[in-house]
Amino acid sequence: MTRMNRRTLLKTAGSVAGMAAASSVIGTPLIAQERSLKIGSYGGYFENSFKEFVYPAFTEATGIAVESVTQPNSTDWLVTMTQATQAGNVPADLSLYARDTMIKASRIGGLLAPLNTKAMPATSNLDPYFVFEDTTGPIGVGAMSWFSAMVINPEEVEAPTSWAEFWDSSKFEASLGLSKNFNSQFLDIIAATFFEGEATFATKDGIMALIEKAAEIKPNVALWWSAESQMEQSMKNGDVIGGQYYLDVSNLMALDGFPIKPIFPKEGNPQDYGSWCLSSISDKGDEAAEFINFSSDPATQALMSRKIGTAPLVAQSKTDLTDDEFAFVSGTPSIKPAYEAYLDYETFIKESWDKMLAGA
Amino acid sequence: MSVTSPAETAARTPFLKPLIWALILFLCVTPFLLIFAVSFGHKIEGASWEWGFSFANYQRVFVGASWPDEITFLYLQKLYYSLYYAVIASVLAVLTAFPFTYLMTGLSRRAQSAWLVFILASLSLSEVFIVMGWDVLLSNRSGLPMVFKETGLTAWLKEVGWFDTLREWGLANPRNVKFKTSVFATVLTMAYLVWPYAVILLYPPLSRLDRSMVEAAQTMGAGPGTVMRTVILPSVRLPLAGAILLLFVFLLGVYVAVTVFAEPAKQTMAVSVYEAVRGNTLNAPFGAAQAVVLLITAGIFLVLGQWLSRRGTS
Repeated sequence: MTRMNRRTLLKTAGSVAGMAAASSVIGTPLIAQERSLKIGSYGGYFENSFKEFVYPAFTEATGIAVESVTQPNSTDWLVTMTQATQAGNVPADLSLYARDTMIKASRIGGLLAPLNTKAMPATSNLDPYFVFEDTTGPIGVGAMSWFSAMVINPEEVEAPTSWAEFWDSSKFEASLGLSKNFNSQFLDIIAATFFEGEATFATKDGIMALIEKAAEIKPNVALWWSAESQMEQSMKNGDVIGGQYYLDVSNLMALDGFPIKPIFPKEGNPQDYGSWCLSSISDKGDEAAEFINFSSDPATQALMSRKIGTAPLVAQSKTDLTDDEFAFVSGTPSIKPAYEAYLDYETFIKESWDKMLAGA
Repeated sequence: MSVTSPAETAARTPFLKPLIWALILFLCVTPFLLIFAVSFGHKIEGASWEWGFSFANYQRVFVGASWPDEITFLYLQKLYYSLYYAVIASVLAVLTAFPFTYLMTGLSRRAQSAWLVFILASLSLSEVFIVMGWDVLLSNRSGLPMVFKETGLTAWLKEVGWFDTLREWGLANPRNVKFKTSVFATVLTMAYLVWPYAVILLYPPLSRLDRSMVEAAQTMGAGPGTVMRTVILPSVRLPLAGAILLLFVFLLGVYVAVTVFAEPAKQTMAVSVYEAVRGNTLNAPFGAAQAVVLLITAGIFLVLGQWLSRRGTS
């Protein structure tokens, strides 16, 4: 961010005032006459990679300056954006929404502006599934995707070939780390492993069957994590020797020498993705369109895969990613989460899941 | 004492008093009223919520969302654990801080102020920081389980067969002992969290304690136990009860320690409130209803505690 601002500043204003402002972290007032865009992304490593690799490339290509905004995640961000929209002043023009949050935002209404896909020819590279339309038009275009994969500690156990092996207490007693969150896609894994996949979510009885299956794994779970860092620490410390965790972070941890190995079992891993969504009260529609167009370009998708570790939303053949690079961020088969069911039966699934966890 | 009495000050600035009252009302009462109003709101499935007037959220706290088809005490269980941890941890903190503070007040002025500064400084550690510290201390590779393994204690436990008992209690996996997640770790961290407060709350009454009474009892032949029971404890009974009550209320809202150290089956209402408001469901009304129930429960306990200690003195 600092570096980028300094570059644009030196280009536009070589004055003493400009130099003085360049030494401060944010020189926004001076570049106000330029085109700019505020973009939100999940804080930490993710946002830092965006600031270091993606935004500078975009600014170079279009001359539009990017101000990075930290999002805690997508659900908390939806609360923030709902309140900010009511107050009439939003912290970011474009932000990242996971698909379920985006559908939720669409159902709440009045939060997201329809996008002008004609101004984004590069979106044709994406599978239509990744351009989400509601009654107002296209409101989200896929940015990048990520897998939450099966992980194990290769020093302690052999790689399972199926998720079903996690239910085996002779191997995994009190040793797994799973997400505590009802919609963290563990139910989708169960549906794919033991039932009929997404179709099982169609009825309450089907959902109850999934949750009852989840109850059977409880003796093997040492950690029901609510924050990503809990699982990261527990894998590093050997408090757990397997579980469900993000593919990209697992690969990065493995590169750093920690005993973690992501695996694609025969049922696959759940694939989720983030979309760029434009705030309904932003006046930066044109700039946002340029950024989404840039982000949908296969070259940018490859750049994100290499530098951030996300799976590309375009076919591997369209990018210059090698097989090794592709395998680092993606894999098959992919389990598509039952997004709509999680929203239609929201209270029911949440309470039944919590009851299962609490044994109440 | 200043030269001007409060009455004189009030006479000179007639607006001061109403202004202070308005400020207090705004800062304390408004947020509470807002929560109260939100708790009657209506959840829209799959989206957010809207204002409304229904008791459905309160009903859900007591019997669950599917009532009357099905009944669950899930949220009362969470309330129970809120009280459970808060009671044990506050009592534990005060009981351990009491002897420490008593001994501290017997030290020289210089040593006393050094201790007090140290304890006040430790208050600057946030909950997150403390939880992180204990998390490391209880971790398999860097903490207590490692000590167990390296000293051969784990092997010894396996040999004598106690290891299987620990597994049954959830304090071990097949490889080594584990202290996360456990009630032990949760209560320990919570007690640690409020320990400095306990010392600071007990310090004034204990330092005012007339040591000559203790000496008098000793010269009359009373042993240390008798002195503690008949002289010291009765004279600080009220501050002790007050400290426990205050820490209890403080601990009802603990969030980080519970999410990290307690298994989901034993998590508290504070966590449930947060999940409802900020979690995936965006169900602020249900979160607010739980918060109101928690608040009322805390109020009942405070009144009860007050009543008990008043009855004790009369």
